[in-house]
Amino acid sequence: MDVFGSFALILAFVCAAYAFAGGIAAIVTRHPLLIKSARQAGIAVCALIFTATLSLVYLFFSDNYSVAYVVSHSNRDLSTFFKVAALWSGQEGSLLFWSFLLAIYVISVLLTYRNKNGELMPYVGVILAGVQLFFLTISNFVASPFKALGVANLAGGFDLVARADGNGLNPVLQYPEMVIHPPNLYSGYTGFTIPFAFALAALLARYPGEKWIHLTRKWTMIAWCFQTMGILLGAHWAYAVLGWGGYWGWDPVENASLLPWLTGTAFLHSVMMQEKRGMMKVWNVWLVFVTFMLCILGTLLTRSGVVSSVHAFAQSSIGSWFIGFLCMVMGVCLAAYFKNKDYLKSENQLDSMVSRESSFLFNNLVLLVACIAVLSGTLFPVFSEWFTGSRISVGGPFFNKVNIPLGLLLLLLTGVGPLLAWRKTSTESMRRNFQGPVVAGALGGAAAFLFGAREVFALICFSLCVFVAATIVQEFYRGARVVKIRSGAPWVASCVDLTLRNTRRYGGYIVHLGMVMIFIGLAGQAFNKEVEKEVPIGSTVSIGKYELLLQSMDRKQEKNYVADRMIVEVMKDHQPVMMLYPERRNFPTNQESGTMVAIYSTLREDLYVVYAGMNPDNLPTLHVFINPLVKWVWWGGMVVVMGTIVALVPNRAAVVVLAPAEALVSAGEVSAMRPAQVTLREGHD
Amino acid sequence: MLADQTDRTHQIGSKIKCMCKGCDQAAGKCYHVGGAYSGPCDTAKNMLKEIDTHISAGLNDQQVLDAMIKEYGPLAYVEPPKSGFGLVAWLMPILYLLGGLILVVVVMKRWRKRPVAAIAVPGAGHSQVSPELLARAREQAQRETEE
Repeated sequence: MDVFGSFALILAFVCAAYAFAGGIAAIVTRHPLLIKSARQAGIAVCALIFTATLSLVYLFFSDNYSVAYVVSHSNRDLSTFFKVAALWSGQEGSLLFWSFLLAIYVISVLLTYRNKNGELMPYVGVILAGVQLFFLTISNFVASPFKALGVANLAGGFDLVARADGNGLNPVLQYPEMVIHPPNLYSGYTGFTIPFAFALAALLARYPGEKWIHLTRKWTMIAWCFQTMGILLGAHWAYAVLGWGGYWGWDPVENASLLPWLTGTAFLHSVMMQEKRGMMKVWNVWLVFVTFMLCILGTLLTRSGVVSSVHAFAQSSIGSWFIGFLCMVMGVCLAAYFKNKDYLKSENQLDSMVSRESSFLFNNLVLLVACIAVLSGTLFPVFSEWFTGSRISVGGPFFNKVNIPLGLLLLLLTGVGPLLAWRKTSTESMRRNFQGPVVAGALGGAAAFLFGAREVFALICFSLCVFVAATIVQEFYRGARVVKIRSGAPWVASCVDLTLRNTRRYGGYIVHLGMVMIFIGLAGQAFNKEVEKEVPIGSTVSIGKYELLLQSMDRKQEKNYVADRMIVEVMKDHQPVMMLYPERRNFPTNQESGTMVAIYSTLREDLYVVYAGMNPDNLPTLHVFINPLVKWVWWGGMVVVMGTIVALVPNRAAVVVLAPAEALVSAGEVSAMRPAQVTLREGHD
Repeated sequence: MLADQTDRTHQIGSKIKCMCKGCDQAAGKCYHVGGAYSGPCDTAKNMLKEIDTHISAGLNDQQVLDAMIKEYGPLAYVEPPKSGFGLVAWLMPILYLLGGLILVVVVMKRWRKRPVAAIAVPGAGHSQVSPELLARAREQAQRETEE
């Protein structure tokens, strides 16, 4: 099967080379058969990558310990579920997995648009084939996952050997979330290839019209959704598994995943400037280019070990390949841009400084500043080594100090932007739109203060969250009221109806609401508490309102590990609440151990209990945290994903803005509503 | 042992990086993936003990930090110092923001001077709006608000 897999991989490489070269020839000659054959080759590449990936999975399932990659990342006792995760737990496999996910996107694009966008698709095909060619080169010639296990013999060659069992999977990866987090994040990273291909293709082909920008936007939303899920699942995994009480440590690899997310978010906003007003065309194209390049840079940071990271399980000297590829991509983008610069000429002027347009400019400014600040902070140790000869490290506190103000600024814009009209906002409409939310925000801040919050940033954050939430509620209320008056449907049905008529706008608001919830959760960090204590059996630890009694300890023998468990009774205000079972797991195969945190989670706070191990006197140690509002982050994440899905649903039939009023409404009300309805459109996305 | 250490030790420890090179955390907050102990690793524990020693020698917080940096070098900073080359790290984000702001303002000014190409909508009362104009306004509203 390993020979089969590597054969599929080399064939995929050959087909990708053909799709690339043949595609270029097809564009030059415009020969229809050549165009078709290049596209078919592109589809074949994907099919072959699927075959190669499946054969690697099969090698894991069939416990084939003559393949080096399988030996290092699996063992017989590993459950089937985690054998799938072993696929991407190392360098070679994760690169193949990368190609696999990209292939899913590529085949979807090639098949969906096979009879559409005739002028554009050959270019898209070539660009996608080019990217695939790069990853296939790596998988075939630099980091092949199908290498046989060999030992050096006396003659200077290698003898093939097979082992009875493998080294096992890294224990920190043996958690269900680790089976979902990487595929999501990788789907985000690889997904940004598609908008990149569309944008570059449109620029190269000087594709007329704005169709490509719609396509680009749609695929960016899909990739962005996966990226968001991937980042949050990673955060949740770190929180639930690593046992340090937090979920975001500003580790270089975490930062790397945030960078394309930030530029992608910027693009999803500024693209509206182009669609509605024909502005910022150059900027948008470059945002898409940069997002893709940041994805490659992210891989480079993860794989090369340029900066030290906890994600050290997949590193090598593969970095120079990625640097080369990055330079090539940059070169192609620059060349395409300078050749066809006039294609991106913007129309329209800015009517007012107080308008939707300017709010988008500031939104992009903040997102980009955050992106560059995180990037340069991550690379700062490298810079300082160049200039001063010694590495100055940059850790979490630095990133927090820099990004908290930026985040709050962005949160403010989330509320302000949607209330400003395109072109120009009148003072009257400002007053009407902002009055309620501003009062609500001020009250929210005051309430937080009364509840004992004294941290300045947290207080600002809570006020802004209430303010933004109020603007969103106000938007839904105003829209739904119109629908309700016309259809007579109840509020909920009117809201749903409203959302389905303009999924993008109201889906966007749902995403904003999710972000508000995430910010509430982030602000909770300002109030974290922790205590660590040795506890003999039968004694207690107190933290906040909670008292934890260590009742006893036991040991469970599982298939792949031994779990030492604490049995802890939790009491709140002297009343028993629940039992918690924090664990330490020991994996005999690779002599490693891991933690399993026990969490009692409510919307108000998490009680987070870690069995920290035995001290030298053989006393068990408990590490207990109270982390307020953490749950809001995960729920907010779900709302963000939901909102994105809503925004991806096509609109229901368009509404005529000034439809005749039904009998339900009196004539006076109608005439009163009319002007309001016309101006109401000011506030639309 | 860790639990015996004071809050002050931990506070100082959270300003110094754990030098185990496996994690990117502060000594006071070190966790170790797959380590023997989920709390601080041996390196971090030793660093915390050193901080204890410095404290009992009567140093103040800053002096303890300085002593630790002197021993471990600039890699032990959790955040860059606000002096020397470390200052560059702190100035960078501020410069980005200022540069970006200037850029945005310049761009806005230029855009305001662009020739007008938009549809003119007269400010007349709504009752006098002609059907053609209304249709055009609707179409524009549709384009600018819906998909």
